[in-house]
Amino acid sequence: MKVSDLLKSRQAKWGELERLCSLIEGSARRKLDPAMVARFSSLYRAACADLAMADAYRLPPTTIHYLHRLVGRAHNQLYRSRRFNVATWTRQLMVDVPRRLFSDNCLRLAFCIFWGMFLLSGFLAYTMPGYSEQAMGKLYTMQLEEMYSQPVQDRGRAASGGMAGGGMAGFYIHHNTSIGLQCFAFGLLFGVAGLFVTATNAVLLGASFGHMAAGPHADNFYHFVTAHGPFELTAIVLSAAAGMKLGFSLIDTGGLTRTASLRRTAVDAMPTMGAAMVMFLLAALIEAFLSPSAAPYWIKASVAVLSAALLVVYFVVLGYPQED
Amino acid sequence: MIADRQQLDNAMEIVTPENIAFRYQVAGPFRRLPAYLIDLVIRGAMFVGGTIVVWLVFGLAGLPGLGIGLSLVLWFALGWFYGGLFETFWNGQTPGKRLMRIRVLSVDGQPINGLQAVLRNVLRALDQQPAIFFLVGLVTASLNDRFQRMGDLACGTMVVIEEGPWFRGVIRLSDPEAIRLAGQIPASFQASATMARALAAYVERRGNILPMRRLEIARHLAEPLRAKFDLPPGTDPDMLLCGLYQRTFITDWDGRTSARTGSPFREAKSPQGTSETARPQDAAPGNAGGSPQAVATADRAQARWSASEDSP
Repeated sequence: MKVSDLLKSRQAKWGELERLCSLIEGSARRKLDPAMVARFSSLYRAACADLAMADAYRLPPTTIHYLHRLVGRAHNQLYRSRRFNVATWTRQLMVDVPRRLFSDNCLRLAFCIFWGMFLLSGFLAYTMPGYSEQAMGKLYTMQLEEMYSQPVQDRGRAASGGMAGGGMAGFYIHHNTSIGLQCFAFGLLFGVAGLFVTATNAVLLGASFGHMAAGPHADNFYHFVTAHGPFELTAIVLSAAAGMKLGFSLIDTGGLTRTASLRRTAVDAMPTMGAAMVMFLLAALIEAFLSPSAAPYWIKASVAVLSAALLVVYFVVLGYPQED
Repeated sequence: MIADRQQLDNAMEIVTPENIAFRYQVAGPFRRLPAYLIDLVIRGAMFVGGTIVVWLVFGLAGLPGLGIGLSLVLWFALGWFYGGLFETFWNGQTPGKRLMRIRVLSVDGQPINGLQAVLRNVLRALDQQPAIFFLVGLVTASLNDRFQRMGDLACGTMVVIEEGPWFRGVIRLSDPEAIRLAGQIPASFQASATMARALAAYVERRGNILPMRRLEIARHLAEPLRAKFDLPPGTDPDMLLCGLYQRTFITDWDGRTSARTGSPFREAKSPQGTSETARPQDAAPGNAGGSPQAVATADRAQARWSASEDSP
């Protein structure tokens, strides 16, 4: 049999497979007719067999090329993307992530760097008058002072331009979570960029805290930042640590190739980022509704204590290594 | 699952569960950038549309602040999760990718899962540095052979071209000289696999080659064969190769084409399935004709295939 005869006999099937591909590409998975799916898969296997025999059949290169594309296209319709496995999320967030983080060196490092730099910078800003301007820049210092020159409840209204709590929550979710995700993404650059971003944020925040504590508007400032502080600062540390872990996985590969090591770590890092985003979300809600409100300071302080306690439970109690 | 890396160009080989290796072309920046820009426009339009709706609804309800907040959340979600969600639910494609006919796959050819889709899109924040110029991604991508940016490397994905296939069969030769020469080639001649490939490559391209250049190219194969077949010295090398093509792919030694009707030629773009050609796949590869004569021909052809690797 000649190639032309063979092509003649196969072409109808290939054409039918093509048509079924276009049909399936355009429609939802559940609405597909089972008979059609069965027909599709048998045609697909037939095309696979033809491709496998292409050399023996002496098919011309253009036809082989066509078959490669046809098989590839059908393969992508037969084996489709898997969705999120939502059922495992609770277990991931409540069991796997805290246990992993409890023994995570990157988190320890990020924690030490962040809080070390934060406290150092805060101490310097508190004791040395010129420091905060050097660390944060004159403009930012002035903005900060101006921002907190009024009591929180007035400031909240003025700064948001009439945006109610819901509006500000949206702003904080958008702004802060984006910062966290950026920290994470930048960590991939061998961890160095992640260290840098973490340290920068720590120095800036520390300087703001120290500066404001030393200044005349300390009350206003702490009235605003206390309640949401624990969640937000922890979330920053968490996302920086996750990013750093990605970066360090490129250096310490544990015997794998660099990409394989990166891939393995990235799968671990995603649930951690999920935890960080949940914290950012909580922080944003507190920051939008409670922090700018006129509630007395003891309420805000107790919210801070409560959230810190929750974090301790999450990281230490849930995270402490144990046998299932 | 990945075949050994013997890659010359941007084609990646993938082994499927059906145990067949097929090739993909990896998409480069000139397809991925337009896809990204299209997505950017769509994202912008979705944001504007969503914002208008939200503002109208909450503005009329007397809660403008909540409307602004929700539109910011929308901005956040579109910015970070647009690509991830589309790639999860559209089987590795976003609208831009669908228009540019590219698709995200795992490096082993499997479809991606939701985690990979979200992660590779979150890590775009790094790839697009500095600012929005994608230098990090471009440099990383040019350093590996699957053109993966950082996000792709981290979750083991690649972007492949998935073009609609256009069927290309054998070429119908209209030149009587080629047909005549095909009849003069000895009946025992059987082209080897490599020669068949070379003949197909030559005949498919010869339309784009000037006659003088054709002679130059065809001579290398045609001269030795002409001597072997005892053809007269004046035989046109170009026509001889066309005749060989005719013999290899279309007609048998007696010049008879198949008795069956229908056209395998590339003009026939979208054939309809007829009862005559739709046979069960598990039939033997040669047993396509149905008539005893065709079966005999097929058997002979099979025998020649197996013995043909040492032909000229």
